[in-house]
Amino acid sequence: MEKLLNIKNLQVTVADKEAEDTSKEILKGIDLQVNKGEIHVVLGPNGSGKSTLMNAIMGHPKYEIAGGSLEFEGEDLTELKTFERARKGIFLSFQTPEEIPGITVENMIRTAKQAVTGENIKVVKFRKELKAAMKELQMDESYAQRYMNVGFSGGEKKRNEILQMLMLQPKLALLDETDSGLDVDAIQIVSNGVKKFHNEDNACLIITHNTRILKQLNVDKVHVLMQGKIVAEGGPELIEKIDKEGFGFLQGAE
Amino acid sequence: MNKEIFSEIPMRTWNWLGVNEAVVDKDLLVESQNLDIKIEADHQEKMLVEYRKESYGIVNINIGENASLKLTQLQLMPQDCDHVNEINVVLEKKARLQLVAVETGAKSFASKVNIILKGDKSQADVSLLYFGDGDRSLDMNYVLEFQGRKTVGNLEVYGGLMGESQKIFRGTLDFKQGSKQAKGYEKENVVVLSSGVRNRSVPIMLSGEDDVVGNHAVSSGKINEDKLHYLMSRGLSPAEARKLVLEAAFNPVLELIDDEALRQEIDSYIKERLENE
Amino acid sequence: MAQEKTYIEDIERTLYDIKNVDKSKYKSQSGLTEDIIRDISARKNDPDWMLEFRLKSLEVYNQLSLPNWGPDLSELNMDEIVTYVQPDAKMTGSWDEVPEDIKETFDRLGIPEAEQTSLAGVGAQYDSEVVYHSIQEDLVKQGVIYTDMETALHEHEEIVRDHFMKLVPPKDHKFAALHGAVWSGGSFVYVPEGVHVEIPLQSYFRLNAAGAGQFEHTLIIVEKNASLHFIEGCSAPKYNVTNLHAGCVELFVNDGARLRYSTIENWSRNMMNLNTKRAVVGKDGVIEWVSGSFGSHVSMLYPCSVLKGENAKCEFTGVTFASKGQNLDTGASVIHCAPHTSANISTRTISKAGGKATYRSAVKVTKNAPYAKCSVNCESLMLDDISRSDTLPTMDIEGDEADIGHEATIGRISDEAIFYLMSRGVSEDEARSMIVRGFVEPIAKELPLEYAVEMNNLVNIELEGTMG
Ligand SMILES: Nc1ncnc2c1ncn2[C@@H]1O[C@H](COP(=O)(O)OP(=O)(O)O)[C@@H](O)[C@H]1O
Ligand SMILES: [Mg+2]
Repeated sequence: MEKLLNIKNLQVTVADKEAEDTSKEILKGIDLQVNKGEIHVVLGPNGSGKSTLMNAIMGHPKYEIAGGSLEFEGEDLTELKTFERARKGIFLSFQTPEEIPGITVENMIRTAKQAVTGENIKVVKFRKELKAAMKELQMDESYAQRYMNVGFSGGEKKRNEILQMLMLQPKLALLDETDSGLDVDAIQIVSNGVKKFHNEDNACLIITHNTRILKQLNVDKVHVLMQGKIVAEGGPELIEKIDKEGFGFLQGAE
Repeated sequence: MNKEIFSEIPMRTWNWLGVNEAVVDKDLLVESQNLDIKIEADHQEKMLVEYRKESYGIVNINIGENASLKLTQLQLMPQDCDHVNEINVVLEKKARLQLVAVETGAKSFASKVNIILKGDKSQADVSLLYFGDGDRSLDMNYVLEFQGRKTVGNLEVYGGLMGESQKIFRGTLDFKQGSKQAKGYEKENVVVLSSGVRNRSVPIMLSGEDDVVGNHAVSSGKINEDKLHYLMSRGLSPAEARKLVLEAAFNPVLELIDDEALRQEIDSYIKERLENE
Repeated sequence: MAQEKTYIEDIERTLYDIKNVDKSKYKSQSGLTEDIIRDISARKNDPDWMLEFRLKSLEVYNQLSLPNWGPDLSELNMDEIVTYVQPDAKMTGSWDEVPEDIKETFDRLGIPEAEQTSLAGVGAQYDSEVVYHSIQEDLVKQGVIYTDMETALHEHEEIVRDHFMKLVPPKDHKFAALHGAVWSGGSFVYVPEGVHVEIPLQSYFRLNAAGAGQFEHTLIIVEKNASLHFIEGCSAPKYNVTNLHAGCVELFVNDGARLRYSTIENWSRNMMNLNTKRAVVGKDGVIEWVSGSFGSHVSMLYPCSVLKGENAKCEFTGVTFASKGQNLDTGASVIHCAPHTSANISTRTISKAGGKATYRSAVKVTKNAPYAKCSVNCESLMLDDISRSDTLPTMDIEGDEADIGHEATIGRISDEAIFYLMSRGVSEDEARSMIVRGFVEPIAKELPLEYAVEMNNLVNIELEGTMG
């Protein structure tokens, strides 16, 4: 199997340049490998560093890599800027998507698609695809002309993230609590979106607190993150166990 | 009568608006009572200034590093007096100022407050309550100047106007170049209770620094009809309901006054005026 | 075709006349004198009352002093005001004298060569004459009058006399007085009751008439229940050798009428732009301002709406972009004079590379305007720490039935928004310019497509080299 994402002993600190206080270490040595065609799930209590891991993979300037390695398709990512990582085929569905006034959803996705593919995207064909994808996610067509996430409900923002994922067709999709705060129907829609997206040539790394979204997906591997470390790994059975018992039984694992 | 400019806004605008300067009787400015205070580093102090007699009061304060001051200034002048007052504060590194100001008295008054956030991470929280009725005239000019990095300044103003009162409130957030990551917030809510009122607001924001967050908001309107309706549906008369709503609007400032007796005094003072309306 | 020719010939003759005026005699005088005014008036063949008006304005001009607020105007040499008043200095320039940066901007905006020379004030003809005449025919059928101010003064003297500088009286301020004394050129539009002009009218006259673009007067009257969209200027830099612009715009929006007045202003960077614009709106009438300020060295521009009739409305949308060497003091004012009048002011300002942008506004609610409603929203974006951005609104409200709200923010582009866009594959520079374009989008979407595209190009040109 082809290795897509290869993380070794990754240590991440928050770089707050203005603070006199020394920077805080959040991830304390993470190992994680994701192959093409796989679905991985990261579980962990609030504040354990899950979003930090996603941001580090995506190259958020606030999160500094203090040690370890981060490779995508065998290539070192650490020196690449965020947009270069995106162009390599990494996509992040944000836990809290930004509101960007003045940029319409359609404009955003078309610009991104042009940037990622390096091709000029024809409007007519693009619109058709966009419309189809929106229908899939049960988004009203009018949202294409609305400004990015401005005035969107929490659920609409998340659907907008999945819409971008479907349109951009990345090789690796990072989903940071995309199902949080959604009602049952919306979770179903998002879950269908992920299912439709996933195939032999791509991979997903999913952060969730809600096992419902995983019901229809064939999860390959589960990682449990606590206080910046992976404290347990296993197959889908781990999800059920944590669902029932919580993270308590893992405390000792540290 | 002989007039003199007492205070000016940091940046002038159209003259016809009459807000560029506060002009007062020269006589008022002849003699001032000065209070110079230095809060030593790491100290925490509380101060109360009350104005009850005709006077021109100037309070100059320097708050040392890591020190904090809560200053409460109550202007409860008799209805037939004119009055001017002035506060100048400089905050050193990590110093904190909490200013609670109440302007409910005097026939005509002018006040100016100048706060300089000089030291990095210094913070000033200013809460002002003003209330005007009859043919009184209220003139206020507050300036928060951000010099240090990561400085924070909040200016919250609650006002009530009735009768034929006239009011000008000028509030300036001035971000100087170098005040990186400073945050400034200004809000003025005015409730207007009668048609004879003239209400002028000048919320100014000046910036020579891009790495700042500045917000200001002003709302002026009559008392919230929905709230009135709600209270009246519980059996309150229109007058009682209005009083209650206005009191609620002033509460954010009133509850910052530590002295229970003073709080009561201001509260009943306002109530009495409302009664007479 | 015959009609077109007549018109073009008129223009040519005017040009010819001007070329033959001996300019040296103006230069020898320092102050603005009655003789100069009489001379301007005579050359324009003014009716007597207009000469009187000019002379009275001159008196007022001499009495008034410069404003004691706003940007520094000391670069204007008021003793040498006459050098600014020279009729049509721009026509005497040659293409070679037009600064390179302006020529370059023309090219990058994709403006055709013929138009470039016209905009730079060195060409006499502009292709839009043809366009203008075909529009004209259609309008004439509906009774719409659309002509240059000089023609209007003669052919529609009564209407002009009833309205000219009634809304902006010369005593308003020094530059209004100057305008009253030396005005020249501009557009006149009259839309009769109930007529809806479907296509936007543009001020072609500015480009051609003598002295236009300096002291031009725009007078628009939209009668009851009629509507019009008028577009002033375009986004190409207009280059004048002389550097004072003191135009005046007066808009009369009658009961139930609607007028949209759009401007994308991009004066060359040597210009002092001191323009006065005012609208009066009748019962149920609507004035909509769309105002983009990109050019000039110094600007003072605050379109004013007088909401005189019950239920009258004002919508103001403005964008100001101040870059290196610019001090753009812009904004709006609204005067509520009748019950239930409402206004919405929404502005965006951007400053970069040492530019200074000021938003200044006044909202006045008189005693006669119960239930007035006004909401003001201004957002300022700073692109670096050597620029300035100031916000100075004033609200002056009488009475207890007004509902007034004001909100303003100041700040820079959020790092999180850039990260979000970059995570979608957009480069950092592009992410920044997307956000800036998004910031001005509220105005872009109010403009006809070709202007919106030009404005976006303009923003892009402004942003180049400063990002990243
Ligand atoms: N930008 C930041 N600045 C300071 N601390 C941060 C920042 N981002 C995350 N942290 C801290 O790092 C820890 C992990 O946060 P996060 O990765 O968001 O956790 P999770 O997504 O698992 O809930 C928390 O203690 C959080 O407060
Ligand atoms: Mg998280």
